[in-house]
This record gives sequence, structure tokens and C-alpha cells, in this order.
Amino acid sequence: MQRRSFIKGTFALATIGLLNPIFFRHGLSAAEEAVEMPFTELINDYLSGKTAEDGSSIMALNIPEAPENGAVVPVEVTINHPMTADNYISNITVLTTKNKANKAISFDLTPANGIAYLYVNVKMGQTQDVVILAKSNRGKIFKVSQNVRVALGGCG
Amino acid sequence: MELRGTVKILDQNYKVGDVVKAKIIVIHKMDTGFTKDKESGKTFPRFYLKEITATYNGAIVASFELDVATSQNPVIQFPFKVTGPGTLVIDFVNSDEDKAQKSVAITPAG
Repeated sequence: MQRRSFIKGTFALATIGLLNPIFFRHGLSAAEEAVEMPFTELINDYLSGKTAEDGSSIMALNIPEAPENGAVVPVEVTINHPMTADNYISNITVLTTKNKANKAISFDLTPANGIAYLYVNVKMGQTQDVVILAKSNRGKIFKVSQNVRVALGGCG
Repeated sequence: MELRGTVKILDQNYKVGDVVKAKIIVIHKMDTGFTKDKESGKTFPRFYLKEITATYNGAIVASFELDVATSQNPVIQFPFKVTGPGTLVIDFVNSDEDKAQKSVAITPAG
């Protein structure tokens, strides 16, 4: 009887594996390891030796100062910058400062976008800053940040 | 795994030359690789939506590289200029290289 149930069990396991490749694939995927992405490293990488200009005069942020839940923090940015063929914003990147992995999104724009605008939901493990970096095609980098108080952290 | 997502145009009654906003919602986990299951104590592997590309009538108008600080079930809005009738095609890729494609028709009035 014991042997019977053992065989049954093995069969059941094998069937799960056959029918559901995700069940095993997760364990093999290369992207599984946690990668810490410290804020200083990310921002130095983005600036690559240049200095960022204060973008608060041209960048309008719409971020709640104290969202109810750190797991979903809406971040909205509008950049008042021309979007012509030879002078436009080519990239907007949203970073956080104190998560374990701080990169949220990198958005590549073209003049076909018309305006430089981005809305994205970010998660935050604790109270920290949201830093928004924008790069123009002429090599200028604008930076603006806002502190966000998080009472209940989303997984960081 | 099948990726579930949708795209829609937020503006209505737009004309050729207007800048409209498109909204993308993807149902996807954004596991950082740091969080643990409270019951079993097992770490959830890093598993996230990696790339979104928006193509409008054959030309790429927006490309996004996402990472794990984006919230679960990412919502993204981006603008683009309407140049004529056509389709906006959105391609999604996650960290397991699963792919999906969604599209929405662009029908300017007038």
C-alpha cells in the first residue's frame, strides 16, 4: 500500500511538471537573483560625469506627499520643454532613493511625442525621495526630486 | 505565462495634429527578489515586466525600460502626436522573455 501511494505521488508530481512549465522554469531563469541597485550608483551612471541642472522651473510634478500605501505611488511629471526635431527631451528616468532596487522606469522619447510627459506607478518601501531625471538630445540633464512620506511600505 | 494587458486612448474627439495620451495597464507581478513569503519563508524570485514598446504606424513613439521599483500591475501614461488614422501597437516583454502584443485603433475626427 505504501509503495502504491509512493508511485501515485511521483506520477502526480511529474504531471505538474509536464503540464505547467512555469512551475519549474522560475527556478531556472537567469533573472531570479535579487540585484541591489543603490541610488548613488544609478544616478552616477545616468549622469556619467556631467552635472544635473535644477529642473524645478520647467518640470511640474504631481506626486502625493503622503500616499495611503507605499505599494502604489502615482508619479506624474510634465516637462515644459520644446519637442522639436533638433531640441527635445530624449529620456525621462524615475528613481527612488532608499529602496533596495531603486530604478523604476526609463522612458525614451522622440519628437513624435509632442510633449514631454510621463505617468507611472512606483512602489516605495519607506519614506524617501522620488528623483526624476530628464535628458535632452543636446546633452543637458535636468533633475528634480520630491520627498514622499510613506506610512505603510510596499515591498521594497 | 500569458501576459495580460491593455491599452487605450484617454482623449476623445481628437484631430490630426493633436497630442493625445495613451494609457497602458499590464497585469504583472513586479517581484524584487528581496521579498519573502510570510508562511513558507521562501524568497520570491526576481520576476518583473521588462520592456514596453509603442509603435504608431510603423514608427516607435515610446519605449520603456521598467525595473522592480515600478509598482505591481504597472500603469503608464504617455503622450504622442496624432499624424493620421492607424493603429498604436504595444509590445510587452517580461523578465522570462514572455511576449504579448496589444493594439488600439487611432481614428482622428474630421
